[in-house]
Amino acid sequence: MIVSRHIEEVQHRLKGFSSAFKTWDLSSSGRLIEQLTTVCPAASFIESNRRARMEFHCASAMNGKAPAVTKLSKCRESKDSCKEGKDSKKGADSTELVCIEKAYCTILSELGENTEREGLLRTPLRAAKAMQFLTKGYKETIHDILNDAIFDENHDEVVVVKDIDLFSLCEHHLVPFFGKAHIAYLPNKKVVGLSKLARIVEIFSRRLQVQERLTKQIATAIEEALEPVGVAVVIEAVHMCMVMRGVNKMNAKTVTSTMLGLYQKDPKTREEFFSLTMRK
Amino acid sequence: MDHSKQTQYSSNEKKDAGASSSVLNGHFDGMVKRPAGGTGRAAASQPPGAESSSHRPAASVMESWREERTRSVEDNEMSLPSLAAAYTTILRGLGEDPQRQGLLKTPWRAATAMQFFTKGYQEKIIDVLNDAIFDEDHDEMVIVKDIDMFSMCEHHLVPIFGRVHIGYLPNKRVLGLSKLARIVEIYSRRLQVQERLTKQIAVAITEALQPTGVGVVIEATHMCMVMRGVQKMNSKTVTSTMLGVFREDPKTRDEFLTLIRS
Repeated sequence: MIVSRHIEEVQHRLKGFSSAFKTWDLSSSGRLIEQLTTVCPAASFIESNRRARMEFHCASAMNGKAPAVTKLSKCRESKDSCKEGKDSKKGADSTELVCIEKAYCTILSELGENTEREGLLRTPLRAAKAMQFLTKGYKETIHDILNDAIFDENHDEVVVVKDIDLFSLCEHHLVPFFGKAHIAYLPNKKVVGLSKLARIVEIFSRRLQVQERLTKQIATAIEEALEPVGVAVVIEAVHMCMVMRGVNKMNAKTVTSTMLGLYQKDPKTREEFFSLTMRK
Repeated sequence: MDHSKQTQYSSNEKKDAGASSSVLNGHFDGMVKRPAGGTGRAAASQPPGAESSSHRPAASVMESWREERTRSVEDNEMSLPSLAAAYTTILRGLGEDPQRQGLLKTPWRAATAMQFFTKGYQEKIIDVLNDAIFDEDHDEMVIVKDIDMFSMCEHHLVPIFGRVHIGYLPNKRVLGLSKLARIVEIYSRRLQVQERLTKQIAVAITEALQPTGVGVVIEATHMCMVMRGVQKMNSKTVTSTMLGVFREDPKTRDEFLTLIRS
């Protein structure tokens, strides 16, 4: 009952969109849900309980809007065909940049600095652009980077990519945390291009994050893309919010992990992963 | 020059008696904090310091720390709502939802954090140093090395962190050792450029102790280079300031640099 109500609601919304979206076959709910899943993570709630719950949880944690939703809403706002979508998106980006720049001007003056002195003249713009770069993960989708790089390969031994440098922003204090991510998965006839694992880390880390959620998002993304036998992700990071302020502990590191599939069930597989990644 | 300095000093004193003024990283041409009405900012945007600093170009950044004026705790409290509002705007501009659970209090936390990262504007060297200068018949090199330093890049507002090594040759007067670290704290907890930070630390020690020589070396990692831009993970920036005999005598300099490396 809940499912059909949700579909009706989504269909109702979609009917209001421009002609570009009418290529979606609204009468076929299954296809609609599949297509909706790529643009609206919440729709995956319909797909399968466990996986949907995890994804919905990740989306509802709202690590930013899902980028395609942003694209949709921009198109909706523009009321025209999607040809103008790109222009309106660029326009929206620069409007956002101006807002952020003004906010930084306020911040500098409220901190007691002189915004007219030479070193700070263009700082609001630079800081705004830097912040946009540091949160560029909101604008990227897993779908875009993974589409071509999944290969059928008869390999069922562990694949580990370790020491992936990671830089993120603490969502509580807006200060960086950085460290390394170690990823392992047991393929199930499908392997992924190795750099794509690092790109997945990039997408999720270039956001306002909590380390626990980041670890889970990476693991879930790999699991959904490859459907492997198991996925393990470990992140060890240093949080500047702990080092530069607050408790001022210089050497503290935070380690989080997510184990899915066989890594969750089998301690020996887990142990093999730890021995490959964590031992110096 | 001296007259204008004195005028500046006394007029700053007067301002200090009323609403507190703020000196920016050693500059005097900073804004005066607004009075209660909040409209004084535009009127106060030309403090007397601005006039005399125009006669002194880059040297104004090296103004004596005796004449610094500070941001106050009351200023911090008054600024907090505006800072928090600015951070809320930033969150929205980045595409985030400021109402979601993890971000509800983030503007306030980020504002308080940023005030902490710039708390160097609230502190005066003179308060830190006044009691801890001792007469001591010691004329050998004193080095305090590996002082952890955290600062903010004034160009991108992202952290800089690294280590500071300080050495000086006393001239009958020594300084409490932790005061060297406190001087580093005061100057580093500001919007900084590493070159200026190094020089400010060296000048402060010179003015306080009048030693025979001072050497300051900072090696730091700039997140603006590591997290963005060129994205060079392992790059470090090293700057140094050598004053007095450290500058004139290569052997003294060499001894200092060897000792900090060991």
